[in-house]
Amino acid sequence: MDVATDQTPAGPLLALRGISKRFTGIRALDRVDLDVHAGELHVLFGENGAGKSTLINVVSGTFASDEGTMHFGGEEVRHLTPQRARAIGISPVFQEFSLVPSLTVEENLFLGREVTSGGVLHAREMRKRATALIDELGFDLDPSQRVDDLSRAHQQMAEIAKALLGRVRLLILDEPTASLTERETGRLFELIARLKNQDVGLIYVSHRMREIRALADRVTILRDGRHIRTLDAATSTDGELVELMTGRKIDLLYPTIMHKPDKVMVDVENLTLADGSVRDVNFHARAGEITGIAGLVGCGKSELIRAIYGIEPIVSGMVRIDGLPYEFPAPRRSLKHGIAYFPANRVAEGLALSRPIRENASMTVLDLPAFARFGVLRQAAERIKIQGVMEALQLRPPNIERTAGALSGGNRQKVMLGRALTRELTVFLFDEPSVGIDVGAKLEVYEFMKRLVEAGAAVIVVSSELPEVLALSKRLYVMHHGRIAAELADAEKTEQNVLASFFREHLVAEVA
Amino acid sequence: MSDLELSMTSESTIPKKSFPTEWLWRAVLPIALIALLLGFAAVDRSVLSPGNLLNIAQQTSYLALFAMAQTVVILTRGFDLALGPAVSMVSVGTALAMAGATAAGHDPSTVLLAGLGAGFGLGIACGLFNGMVIALLGVNPFVATLGSYNVAIGVATTLSAGRPVQGVPELFSQLFYGGSIFGIPAAISITLVIGLVLHLMLGRTVFGRSLYIIGTNPRAAAVAGLPVKRILIATYVLCSTLAALGAIMMTARTGSGEPNLGGSLSLQAIAGAVVGGTSLAGGRGGVGTAVLGALFVTILSNGMNLTRIDGYIQMVVLGAIVIIGVLLDRLRLERRQ
Repeated sequence: MDVATDQTPAGPLLALRGISKRFTGIRALDRVDLDVHAGELHVLFGENGAGKSTLINVVSGTFASDEGTMHFGGEEVRHLTPQRARAIGISPVFQEFSLVPSLTVEENLFLGREVTSGGVLHAREMRKRATALIDELGFDLDPSQRVDDLSRAHQQMAEIAKALLGRVRLLILDEPTASLTERETGRLFELIARLKNQDVGLIYVSHRMREIRALADRVTILRDGRHIRTLDAATSTDGELVELMTGRKIDLLYPTIMHKPDKVMVDVENLTLADGSVRDVNFHARAGEITGIAGLVGCGKSELIRAIYGIEPIVSGMVRIDGLPYEFPAPRRSLKHGIAYFPANRVAEGLALSRPIRENASMTVLDLPAFARFGVLRQAAERIKIQGVMEALQLRPPNIERTAGALSGGNRQKVMLGRALTRELTVFLFDEPSVGIDVGAKLEVYEFMKRLVEAGAAVIVVSSELPEVLALSKRLYVMHHGRIAAELADAEKTEQNVLASFFREHLVAEVA
Repeated sequence: MSDLELSMTSESTIPKKSFPTEWLWRAVLPIALIALLLGFAAVDRSVLSPGNLLNIAQQTSYLALFAMAQTVVILTRGFDLALGPAVSMVSVGTALAMAGATAAGHDPSTVLLAGLGAGFGLGIACGLFNGMVIALLGVNPFVATLGSYNVAIGVATTLSAGRPVQGVPELFSQLFYGGSIFGIPAAISITLVIGLVLHLMLGRTVFGRSLYIIGTNPRAAAVAGLPVKRILIATYVLCSTLAALGAIMMTARTGSGEPNLGGSLSLQAIAGAVVGGTSLAGGRGGVGTAVLGALFVTILSNGMNLTRIDGYIQMVVLGAIVIIGVLLDRLRLERRQ
């Protein structure tokens, strides 16, 4: 590791002023200020979509900001590219890895900055330096292994090693411990402490309270792309941070739902998925009530309901629908069993954007005689039925021949909901139902769920928005690392209880 | 995202589709067709003679069939490079079966059935192979059909020993080439009927609707419960069956089974589809675009023949047309986004 030892001048190492960034109509960052000092670990804290990722992408040169200035080491930086950022000592470690899978660890470390003389690679020199670096980091990593042969944790180590090769003045870590074991996490924390002593500034993105407590000097809270507040870690409480992160008045938004729990419609026993994202999960949902599943990103909550619908492969366990075993789930069969799934990513998995709203809404019912006879579409019937459904859902404007791509996020979700009204369904699986839609549309989605449940359907809501699942559900499961961490009902269903199971981390104490 | 958030994607931020330009896109090809025809006529008057116009119509009817076949798979983001060799294979197979049946002393209608059975059988087999490799094994259509391209050439050449297969009966040629319905030559009437049927199939059946949805967003189609794999296999079978029909019609015209019949047809069919406006990104195109594109390619090569442009230069032009077509398609997609 070749860390800069020159004393940084007085003033922050990194100073951002008024950074704004828009993505096609969405304001991802809205005039954000941020100071990071040399030798400081600065935590970025916020919900999914709060703008943390966008901000670190701006700092590391991946995105250009639309407005605002950036000073690094006292000098103004313009037209930053990822290459230039590295050259001036800004080194990011992203959650999505930047490693080339088919190359070895050392080839990746030196990718684009190979040690050569006269165009010939200096393999031995690179091997020596890679080994020295990995030894110094204390990682259990073989530099000659191909990256695609490594576990995710080892890939994470390689990624960190890559970021630390060369002169580093600002290290950016995006949830670096997400795939590390406790021991490796401990190593990483030791390393962070050493880097701080060497006057390296760190930006650290994490949801994990324990890590924030162990590492942070200061915490900046972002919400909806805005800088909410920057606090000294030592003098702030967990509750304060969470409140600033969510910052909402919950009661206004959510309808009062009359749950009437009836028979068990979905019963999952010891379910384990092929990719290990869900392990040994027992779970059930009743007709006439909303069952919520909360948890952090990557905890397996989406995968659980996707497996029930049949789009994630199951290796073991049992799913029962209305008391009967449901083996080898697949979307078509799930719909026939009365199960519908509403994907979180409606652009990728929900809609055919350049096709009309009508076709998008009827996509799941083309097997029904009401919509097609002997393979021939009944277009007049389709038009009337879908027109009625979309009017009931208050599609604006109510023209079902427009393409789905011309719609706003809220209206796109309405097209998806339209599918729920076109056939007989008893189980509704909602995956992040209010992501990417505006407040008004959220309210309509919640009202829609209320009507479904009060009509006797089983509704399962998976959400990363804690207040949403808390307010909507009768019973709430909390998932953590692929397992059910808690099952809360009625009075125990509080933000504190959920957060307690969210942040029930198994961090080694010796780190701090 | 919290509830404090304001409406993020209000309708106003989405650009309205500009109708004049969309309309212009549609008009480009017909205008280009007429310009092309007039341009060639300026060099050689005979281009516009009634005889040549009928000739163009005949030629177009074959290529339109192949362009329709190609369009069907391109709609699903697919590709059939093997179309040309499949045509050769079907031609050889059909001729061999009929020659064999005639030699065995069967009556003319049995001979005819044997030929059609062999031809369509080979076509369907080719489509099943392509479809299953692509849909079930998940092989990229380009690679899968490049493989079957070579297989089909091998089969066609082996069966025929590389020489034209004689012994195509008169009845067969009469039926698929010489005859006419209401005074319209057989090739043109067959293509008209098939085009109409295919047009209805694409627009009014669950299968047709599924092709567009799969081509637009295959993941969404699967999540919505459409039987994507089955539909893909059926699509390649349909493509190869249409190609087989075209091969049978061309065999009737030449009067023999030709192992080189399909030579440049893969590229011509793709050119026809793409020039007509079928999007390689999937989900856009239809019978109309295939026919227009085929007409364009046919007029271009007919005109180049009459104005004595070198055959190799013609190949360069055809290749360029495909690339320009793809570029225009991408421009159009980018403009939409």
